[in-house]
Parts: sequence; C-alpha cells; structure tokens
Amino acid sequence: MPATILIVDDSKILRAMVRDALEADQHHVVEAADASAALHTVDMVPPDLVITDVNMPDTDGITLVRQLRQRPRERFIPILVLTTEAGDDIKQRGRAAGATGWLVKPFDPIRLRETVKRVLKPRSA
Amino acid sequence: MKHVMTAQAEGEVILYIGGVHASHEAAVIKTLLGSCIAVCLHDPVARVGGMNHFMLPYGADGQAEGASRFGVHAMDRLIGETMKVGGDRRRFVAKVFGGAHVIGIRSSQVSVPAQNVEFVRRFLEAEGFPVLNTDVGGKHPRHVHFHTDTGRAFVKRVATTNAQLVQQEQRSMRTPPAYGDVTLFE
Repeated sequence: MPATILIVDDSKILRAMVRDALEADQHHVVEAADASAALHTVDMVPPDLVITDVNMPDTDGITLVRQLRQRPRERFIPILVLTTEAGDDIKQRGRAAGATGWLVKPFDPIRLRETVKRVLKPRSA
Repeated sequence: MKHVMTAQAEGEVILYIGGVHASHEAAVIKTLLGSCIAVCLHDPVARVGGMNHFMLPYGADGQAEGASRFGVHAMDRLIGETMKVGGDRRRFVAKVFGGAHVIGIRSSQVSVPAQNVEFVRRFLEAEGFPVLNTDVGGKHPRHVHFHTDTGRAFVKRVATTNAQLVQQEQRSMRTPPAYGDVTLFE
C-alpha cells in the first residue's frame, strides 16, 4: 500500500537516491533538507514514515527524532535513521530518542524498500 | 577497511584508499594519489577541514555500473565528518586532486580516472560547493598535503609510478564497499 514518506537529508543527491528507491514502490515522497524544514513539512503533508539523516546543519537527526516524538501525530509513526554513522553508542542514542530503526549508508535500495515495507506493515494490517 | 588512515607526527595524518579524516585542530592530511580522487572540504569561518580518498568501483569493462552510489557515500562521509568537527556545509569550499592515467593501468580501464573526475565535478556542482582549485588528470601520481585550518593544499607530482599504488588502486576498482547494516529496534 503506497505511503507518504518524508526524507530528511542535507544532501540533494542522497535525497534523490532514496526517492528513486521508494518511488519504485509507488510511495509518495516528500523531501526536507534540514530539521526545521522537516517540522514544517510534517504540518503540511503528514507522513506515514520519516527517514532522516543524522549529521545536518543546525539540528541533528537524533534531535529531530526526539522532536517528532513529542508531537501527537508523529508520536507513533515509524522513523528510520539513514546515516554514515555506525557506532553502537550513537545507535543507542537514536533508539532512546524514539527511532524505529537504523540503516547505515551506503544503503542497498532493495534492502531499504524491504525495511520500509516491514515498518509500514502494522499501518496496513 | 584496513589501513585507511595512520597517525604520523603530531598533527599529521596519512590517508589511504577508502579513508576519510576531518579535524577541528590544525592538522596536515597527507595522501598519495594515482587514479584515485581526493576531495578536500574546508570551512574558512570555522577553520576546519577534511579530506577523503576514494576510487569508484568499476566492472571488468571499465564502466562504472552503479558505482556512483559508493562515490556518493565517500562524499557523504566527508561532509558528515567535516560537519562533526564544527564545519557548516553552507560555507564549504572544495579542492579536488587525482584522477591520473598512471602507467600500468589496464587498457579496459583507461576511462576510469576521467569518470572519477567527472563524478566529483557533478557531485560538487549538484550540492553547491564552490570548487576553488583542481589538479586532475595527467600521467603521474600526486602527493597531496592539505592543511585543515587554512584550507591550503600543496601538490607534488611524482615522476615514477609506484607499482604498489597501482595494485592497490586496481584492487579497489574491483571491490565495491559493502552495503551498511540495517537494525530495527523492536
């Protein structure tokens, strides 16, 4: 079932790569280049899933996860972190902030699509 | 990847293929390039900088099938590491080195260095990073020294081709980096 997915990444090229992978499954993809744009976008286009980078200008992705979890609508939607960061400590910080999962770049487009399908499953059940 | 970086004298770092390093303190990042590419990013306000050293993986026919995915990753890591030491990507400027047609490169791979250079040019343009200086192409390897605080880079071309360097680069061409792990918190 197609979903609305928000991609948050400061890299235009990375956003395009993630968009290409997700649009192959007919998902509706919206983009934000940083955390403040993401918070604005979720008000305009409520997403079913958020995929965020960690290292971004001004506000990092883990802080964004925490901010989204404080909002009533985004409190229970899946949030995936997609980042070059692979350390256990930062993964645990992401988990504590409320992330649903952690994907390390470079990402396999097929694995990304499978992961998205899996975390969206409860929504369509 | 093994041996991507070694510490030398205090404030000096040597970078090998697949490596990335950024520093918030004054440091000199040194590398030796043949067909590989090194991109230096510098934030002149925060006076921090970083460098990567990579080769896009290529098929036996010398074509970069799917390789840009890994080039994007190499650039993404550099951007991320330079931001982590205090850089702001909105101020980043870039310098690009490497992409030589070194002696010993196979005939099927003659276009590989040019494809590496073209990938970086397009990436930096798309991401909006001004390129202050490039020294690419030619036939000889280059030693590059990058000063992370000032953003200055010094390049010296090497007259003789290092056979070990060519071997390492050819191995890197054939071996794409592995995809990252997926962890679901349940």
